[in-house]
Amino acid sequence: MSVYKKIATCTVALGALCAAQIAVAQDAPPVVTVVKVTGENWFTRMEEGVVAYGKDNTGVSTSQIGPAKADAAQQLRLIEDLVAKNVSAIAVVPMDPSALEGVFKRAMNRGIKIVTHEADSLKNTQVDIEAFDNKVFGARFNEKLAECMGKSGKWTSFVGSLGSLTHVQWADGGAENAKKYPEMELVSEKNESFNDANKAYEKAREILRKYPDIKGFQGGSAIDVIGIGRAVEEAGLVGKVCVVGLGLPKDTAKYLESGAVQSISFWDPKDAGYVMNKVAQLVIEGKEITDGMDLGVPGYNKVSVKQGPGEGIIVVGEAWVDVDKSNYSQYPF
Amino acid sequence: MANAAATVAGMRDVPAAIRIMRWFIRHPPAVTFLLVVILCIVVGTINPGFWQVSNLFDMARSTVVRGLFALGVLVVLASGGLDVSFTAIAALVMYVITMLVTNYAPDLSIWPILGIAAASGAILGICNGLLVHALQAPSLIVTIGTQYAIRGFLLTFIGTALFMNIPESMDAFGKLALLRYEGANGAVATLPAYFLVLVVAASVTWYILNRTLIGRALYAVGGNAGIASRLGYNLRTVHVFVFAYAGLLAGIAGIMHVSSNRLANPFDLAGSELDVIAAVILGGARITGGSGTVLGTLLGVLLITLVNNVLILVGIPSTLQLAIIGLFILAAGAMFSIRPKS
Repeated sequence: MSVYKKIATCTVALGALCAAQIAVAQDAPPVVTVVKVTGENWFTRMEEGVVAYGKDNTGVSTSQIGPAKADAAQQLRLIEDLVAKNVSAIAVVPMDPSALEGVFKRAMNRGIKIVTHEADSLKNTQVDIEAFDNKVFGARFNEKLAECMGKSGKWTSFVGSLGSLTHVQWADGGAENAKKYPEMELVSEKNESFNDANKAYEKAREILRKYPDIKGFQGGSAIDVIGIGRAVEEAGLVGKVCVVGLGLPKDTAKYLESGAVQSISFWDPKDAGYVMNKVAQLVIEGKEITDGMDLGVPGYNKVSVKQGPGEGIIVVGEAWVDVDKSNYSQYPF
Repeated sequence: MANAAATVAGMRDVPAAIRIMRWFIRHPPAVTFLLVVILCIVVGTINPGFWQVSNLFDMARSTVVRGLFALGVLVVLASGGLDVSFTAIAALVMYVITMLVTNYAPDLSIWPILGIAAASGAILGICNGLLVHALQAPSLIVTIGTQYAIRGFLLTFIGTALFMNIPESMDAFGKLALLRYEGANGAVATLPAYFLVLVVAASVTWYILNRTLIGRALYAVGGNAGIASRLGYNLRTVHVFVFAYAGLLAGIAGIMHVSSNRLANPFDLAGSELDVIAAVILGGARITGGSGTVLGTLLGVLLITLVNNVLILVGIPSTLQLAIIGLFILAAGAMFSIRPKS
């Protein structure tokens, strides 16, 4: 008997939960942003942009969701739920773009608009938004490094993993740019940190041992600079070795302050969230996004538009932000 | 001992090569040691930069966390079980304690922190042990379950954000140097004091395994649980003890990880379980239980750490590194498979 009671209670609870979710749906066409993982500083900042867009524009109602764990399967399930609910548009920062091709195709067949971010290899999307051209971004890292190293000496690059497409593009973009400076020598490139600061640290130590005269490091994953910075600091080489790379102001603050890391770059997820929703609304209203268009956010004032690998287009901004010791505190994430 | 005498007698009429092989077969840690020596010589020949004090220090530093995990796995493995939940326990303990200490007791010194971590790790381990005993299920399955449960709990209810501002005492502990060495280019290498934690843990584990009743009991249970229980060994006590001990070491390892890394990242450590288990197996412990030594395990850890930390020195491009590590583990594993099945 008690088993039936339990099942009954669960059913009621589940029903209430579903009802509550349906009740949230409002009159304005809902645009839902799905991020890689919820709770991370990066995506918390993105949510600010998503919410801000909803406040500024009454034409759509915006919200952001994401799995508790950075897991492609869980993200897929969330998107399937949204398709079932028949929302107007879904804006996604995919964990694994290829895993979402199927569900995006189904969604578009049902008339749901799809906007993506950081997924320029996706075929089934209407608009993919890139904060910048990854090759150009990599070249910018290298430019900063060259300036710091005096355009000569050995340097190396790090990537989160060799499977992280953007990281590899940054490393390649840096290497390409370094060819301008014949005195700069790239050694032992694309070291994998596996997104673990300790691994980045250990690899950096090993590189410092193999190349005692190394002058520069270019980080790939956002925590690479933390691990490399620690290695440089512990080796007593602050000021003798340059470290630049992707990084988040709050996480890297210690090493920017100590001088172990010279400068970090990133793109502001708040702006990306805002632009994703803006583009989603444009698509819902059937408006076209054209080359050189102004999306109303700094860095996206003059976007370039190109054809994606599928039917959709890729919108590329110039939305990088470089910070160093002097101005990192302006970005609270 | 009569057995050993017979073997010696039998050895007289076999060639020296076979005799040496038999000796190695009887002393698995010696094989590991030989592999370590060969690897050092090969790497040292390719790049003389290998023979540096700073390299030695870095190696010692990298073995600490993996070594603590491996000692826990050794104890569980010796008793015939297998634990894969230790990284999740370490991640939960390190993240929760760092957060609580920072928010509520930022001035707490390192010793109570280590004590609390050890105790919380042990409690989680006890849950593992009780589950394994109560469910009568293979401990691998049970600990896969608890690993997921613990990690899910951590990421869902505690937090997913990187934690940079660790308590002062932990930071200082991570920076505390036992020895300091200045290299030619002004680069400084230090042997961290927390290396001693591994030394102490290894000594304690050795003592437990070789000088106490529970040590005897867990080898007996690992050899054959049925016979051990008929001999009067309490299986429940053994199960709970080994998992509690593994949990305790995992808790300490978590704090070591945070102190040395100067940040607490809840996503860290996940996925290093197999590395650790491989180290213990390469150290001569049998995956089926009933054997394994502390010395062998430490050598196994050293071997895995070496392989992981010399590939850049040798100049292998990063695209090839994982494949090389895999091949090396395969080759080392093959050397052990020559051992007779007893």
